[in-house]
Amino acid sequence: MKNTHKIVQPTVSSFSFGRIPEAKKFNLDNKVCAYLIEAGTEDIVRIEFDFLAGQIMEDIPLVASTTNAMLLEGSVNYNAESINRTIDKYGAFPNLSFDKDSAGFIIFTLNKHIEKILELCREILFRPIFPEDELNTLMKNRLQRYQVNRQKVNILSSDHFFQSVFGNEHPYGKYIVPDHFTNVTRSMLREFHSRHYNTSSMNIIVSGKLPSGIETLLNRFFGDIAKEIKKNPLSGIKIKGDIEKKVFIEKSDAVQSAIKIGSLTINKQDPDYPGLKVVDTILGGYFGSRLMKNIREDKGYTYGINSSVNSLLQSGYKTITTEVGAGFAEKTKNEIYNEIRLLQTQPVTKEDLEVAKCFMSGEMIRMFDGPFALAESFKSVLDFGLDNNYYYRLAEKIKTIEPDEIMQLALTYYNIEDLYEVEVGPK
Amino acid sequence: MIDFTRTCLDNGLKVLLHRDTSTPLVAINLLYNIGSRDENPELTGFAHLFEHLMFGGTPEVPDYDTPLMLAGGDNNAFTSNDITNYFITLPADNIETGLWLESNRMQGLDFSQKSLDNQKNVVIEEFKQRYLNQPYGDSLLKLKPLAYKVHPYRWSTIGMSINHIEKATLDQVKDFYYSHYAPNNAILSITGNIDPQKVLLLVKKWFDPIEPRKIAIRSLTEEPVQKQARQLTIENSVPADALYKAWHVGPRKSNDFYSLDMLTDILAGGESGRLYNSLVREKKQFTEINAYVTGDIDPGLLIINGKLMKGIDFKSAEASLNEEIEKLKTHLIPPDELDKVKNKFESSHVFSNTNILNKAMNLSFFELLGNASTINDEVTNFFNVTSEAEMEISRRILIPDNCSTLYYKSGKPDNR
Repeated sequence: MKNTHKIVQPTVSSFSFGRIPEAKKFNLDNKVCAYLIEAGTEDIVRIEFDFLAGQIMEDIPLVASTTNAMLLEGSVNYNAESINRTIDKYGAFPNLSFDKDSAGFIIFTLNKHIEKILELCREILFRPIFPEDELNTLMKNRLQRYQVNRQKVNILSSDHFFQSVFGNEHPYGKYIVPDHFTNVTRSMLREFHSRHYNTSSMNIIVSGKLPSGIETLLNRFFGDIAKEIKKNPLSGIKIKGDIEKKVFIEKSDAVQSAIKIGSLTINKQDPDYPGLKVVDTILGGYFGSRLMKNIREDKGYTYGINSSVNSLLQSGYKTITTEVGAGFAEKTKNEIYNEIRLLQTQPVTKEDLEVAKCFMSGEMIRMFDGPFALAESFKSVLDFGLDNNYYYRLAEKIKTIEPDEIMQLALTYYNIEDLYEVEVGPK
Repeated sequence: MIDFTRTCLDNGLKVLLHRDTSTPLVAINLLYNIGSRDENPELTGFAHLFEHLMFGGTPEVPDYDTPLMLAGGDNNAFTSNDITNYFITLPADNIETGLWLESNRMQGLDFSQKSLDNQKNVVIEEFKQRYLNQPYGDSLLKLKPLAYKVHPYRWSTIGMSINHIEKATLDQVKDFYYSHYAPNNAILSITGNIDPQKVLLLVKKWFDPIEPRKIAIRSLTEEPVQKQARQLTIENSVPADALYKAWHVGPRKSNDFYSLDMLTDILAGGESGRLYNSLVREKKQFTEINAYVTGDIDPGLLIINGKLMKGIDFKSAEASLNEEIEKLKTHLIPPDELDKVKNKFESSHVFSNTNILNKAMNLSFFELLGNASTINDEVTNFFNVTSEAEMEISRRILIPDNCSTLYYKSGKPDNR
């Protein structure tokens, strides 16, 4: 029988992402910053308009997200239907982007239509009219989606988690109730739009096979937007987590319980952040993580469990998230705490560390593979006033971190008494 | 245009190679011609359960994931009605690690009771998480058996019930492996930063030694033509009523596919689609509405589903939807509306070709359909669709006798 499968396992070459293509910065006539990233071989670009206009900037719940969602619902020269028809006509793919800190609009387009698309973007971003009828429909539809989401244990657990960790007063933690959907008015949106969708915090990121004259084009459509120098301050409300660390929400008809455990932590401006990323990866950040091996591959309590560390402008937070069979919630929580204690008390083995390091280095190649990934990675440092050096530091930390440092970081940042624990499911 | 080379090894493995130097990575996609349609009706969900077991290790390589991660790789898999598809991306220099791992688990598996028991639990939790514990999560589990009476598409890849997954035995697992997993039942596509000649030598080094196996013969019962409208109402604790309608359509390979796929885009392709404009924006009877063709290898379904606005009853919502459908049969779609959808197809084709993994998956799938090079005819096939063809197919397919309708009512759960 021929069988060369006994021959040795192929040797592995070392790999790294090399040098990150730098974004070329230039200022429009009104000093708006545009960043150009040349990459890819197809005649397409991704254009992102980024504003400091996320949840953090709102005083009234849902105003920031509704302002963003209403951008596509009508402008001075286009109604909702013609905005969407125009986007489709040119084969472009629009994405409203909205998160806790930033908000804006991303569009993917063929280069041959870029002029038409930029003109439309100007309308969408700077001339929205927030029509009453469209607002009413949107809010009714959003309320219904909200009610559907109330049935999902993972969404409920996540909403309660943010409320506990950031406090109900802070925009990051505000717990949304149905009344919030009827309170939003056109004038609130107009006011939010004029305060936050202006040049004071605007960044433009264009990536792809850049068409010639892209600078001139951007200047033509966005260089004359009235200059707004005054930066809006971030929310002055203090982050104040709940005193009660454990939350249980009963959902008696659920066949699985959602669990969310975590707390505030540092963000990517902190020098310890890259090291914390490594600790998090070992704990629950990839398929070979401790939690995945224990709770899924060994115990079979869940389809998946993962952890993450996330950066926000005013803080950071870490979470461990899973949905487990209804009878397994207690056991799962105990195992999660056991795994954290293990990281704090026993040095991770060389082999385990090597796998996590290689996984992270592989991920870093994917983070800079192609124009779209490059733009996303660039934005996620730009928003924090950082640059690609953050990624070089992260890569260096992945390469050099030792088991002792991991134990130390786990002790410093995973104090079990500080962790919030939210469970949603049957009793 | 995707340029590729095609080689068939002596053991029957088809190999497709495509070079794309815009990335430092390669994608390896291995498609096995085995899906949930090949399952025993008493043991549904088995193909998908088996997909999980493919990660359980082999006698030579007890842990599949670790060596791949050490090489900077990432991997996953999915099971559909028709195929089980495994894929990897990794740095180009380490391509051989991927080939070694895939060839190794094509050669043999470490069948262990512990691994089976554990993955049964994982899959049961997946069943709960994705289908039972989600509002409307079981809608297709109800709609498909209404539309299909005999063909295996009547069950979903996750299976008909948790009970089927629970009773799978190790003997059945072994039997399944040896009758479906083999070089002569697989298509390997590799895309990315490769030298096709060198990579072909590596593929031969790792896959040539695997002997072909006797593949179970596929004999599927054809679904008889539906002759009467079907309707089912179920009640569950969801916040809003939802409407599902499914019409039988031809197989993925038929020319109808392009007309129908475009028709669903005319109806619900993004927010400029007809249904969104008329039923969500203007009449406010729905809060969301979608339309799509399943694209299965055997005759599939065109599905329209939407959630009703509170206070709107099924009859009036359905009547408005039917009005839009009738319009397709009586009025030709204006050329600029058709062009809009065609432009979108062209552009999504360009975008999807920037991703090496997409390309690898598509190459394997189109080869399974008959010939990978037809992937390069897709845009032309869409561009050839005419307004007249859309009217003809609407009259032929979108008729009540060919339709199954599910009312998913907000209320108390049925006894399940």
